[in-house]
Amino acid sequence: MNPALWISKTGLDAQTKDIAVISNNLANASTIGFKKSRAVFEDLLYQNINQPGGRTADDSEAPSGLMLGAGTKVVATQKIHTQGDMLTTDNALDLMIQGEGFFEILMPDGTAAFSRNGQFTMDEEGNIVTPGAGYLLQPQVTIPEDALSIVVSQDGEVSVTLQGQAEPAVVGQINTVNFVNPTGLEPIGQNLYTETAVSGNPQEGVPGLEGYGMLVQGALETSNVNTTEELVNLIESQRVYEMNSKVISAVDEMLSYINQQL
Amino acid sequence: MDKMLYVAMSGAKQNMQALAINANNLANAKTTGFKADLAQARTMQAFGEGQPTRVFSMTERASQNFDSGSMLTTGRSLDIAIKGDGWFAVQTPVAFNLATQVGEEVLGPTSNEAYSRQGNLRLTEDGTLETANGEIVLGDNGPIVLPLPVSNIHISPDGTIMVQPEGAPSSEQEEVARIKLVNPDVRLLEKGNDGLFRRKDGQVELSDANVKVQGGALESSNVNPLSEMTDMIALQRQFEMHLKLMKTAEEVDASSAALLRAF
Repeated sequence: MNPALWISKTGLDAQTKDIAVISNNLANASTIGFKKSRAVFEDLLYQNINQPGGRTADDSEAPSGLMLGAGTKVVATQKIHTQGDMLTTDNALDLMIQGEGFFEILMPDGTAAFSRNGQFTMDEEGNIVTPGAGYLLQPQVTIPEDALSIVVSQDGEVSVTLQGQAEPAVVGQINTVNFVNPTGLEPIGQNLYTETAVSGNPQEGVPGLEGYGMLVQGALETSNVNTTEELVNLIESQRVYEMNSKVISAVDEMLSYINQQL
Repeated sequence: MDKMLYVAMSGAKQNMQALAINANNLANAKTTGFKADLAQARTMQAFGEGQPTRVFSMTERASQNFDSGSMLTTGRSLDIAIKGDGWFAVQTPVAFNLATQVGEEVLGPTSNEAYSRQGNLRLTEDGTLETANGEIVLGDNGPIVLPLPVSNIHISPDGTIMVQPEGAPSSEQEEVARIKLVNPDVRLLEKGNDGLFRRKDGQVELSDANVKVQGGALESSNVNPLSEMTDMIALQRQFEMHLKLMKTAEEVDASSAALLRAF
């Protein structure tokens, strides 16, 4: 059948995927710590119909050949790890990483996951846990029952003021981890990421030191989705989709014309 | 049988192929750094005895439209767009041999260096800089490998990659490499089957200090949807005319047959 039909089909497929990525970004525009994704397009392989430089006669060569491209495809979705904006909440257990780094979260199966969402809360034993599923923050920090107030310093030191004590007591240290290639992390939902072969190994460090972003207490990082940009992308994808479907209908008309005329 | 039928059929067939080029351009209307293919038709004479009427057409992908696409700002430090003319060099897998042997001549490129404008770069786990499609980005002295861990990557307008080693103060910027930027005459370039550009003669282009890059931006595809749609309509109508001629050939044939039957 006509190659143009299949080429346009790849265009339609790719735009559909792009719109899915855009809609996921828009749906998460107010998710704390969310990092936007973008679809990466690549042109598919070209098929040589006539080789350029092929002999056309004894003394002449074709100066240019005919290579038909096979369309486009989405090769990857890239997470864009730029910093989101700061949202102050004054909640003692709201933490934001200003700069690079991830919080390490202990999953129920014992593996580690990583997050930029700093909306922490406490479980019944006073451990700092994630708000949704209640996974433990690593290294584990336990807040004593009689703590009056919690202070998290820029370098991750957690101290509490206890009833009847003037000096605050240090109860733990929150470390963050960095990755060589955060784009290579695999998002698994629940604002969590897991390590992959391309992300590199997690490197634990003290926040605020040696390239690790510092912690800000009482603030959250908003998602880095730029809604205007997403809407512009949406318009573009929708129109490109329409144009590709137009090609399909044009080919369809041509084929039906053959059937009618001949 | 009338030769007219075959001439018209070849025209219709070539129209279909031109439409495939058209469809490919439109499918890649959102591919970063894509350069639209230009289709052209060429006359192929097949003259024999009698009137020189048999001229078939042949569709070719003559070249590409090398105009720059528009700049999309993304703010990502590893996104680059070439300002104006120029390309950056990438290394394709050695196994991807594009050279074609025709007789004793080797046609097409023999080196695995290619040129691209698809500037959405990324790092591998060992710090090698590559494109989103996995081709290694070349610097003036071979592949670019960043000394990990780094905390800040900045690509300056001349293609120099500056990094701030992790833990170093922000004043300490280390120069890693310069992306190999080239500006060959576009007439020397051809698009390979993988969509990357290479020199037709297989030579490696020397780097050019005048090519400028823009960090934090990507170049959109330069496909002009309006002209592609117009071309598509023109091709569709031309195709219909070819079919009309084929129909006419049939009618002429039928009436001569009827004429013969009359006697």
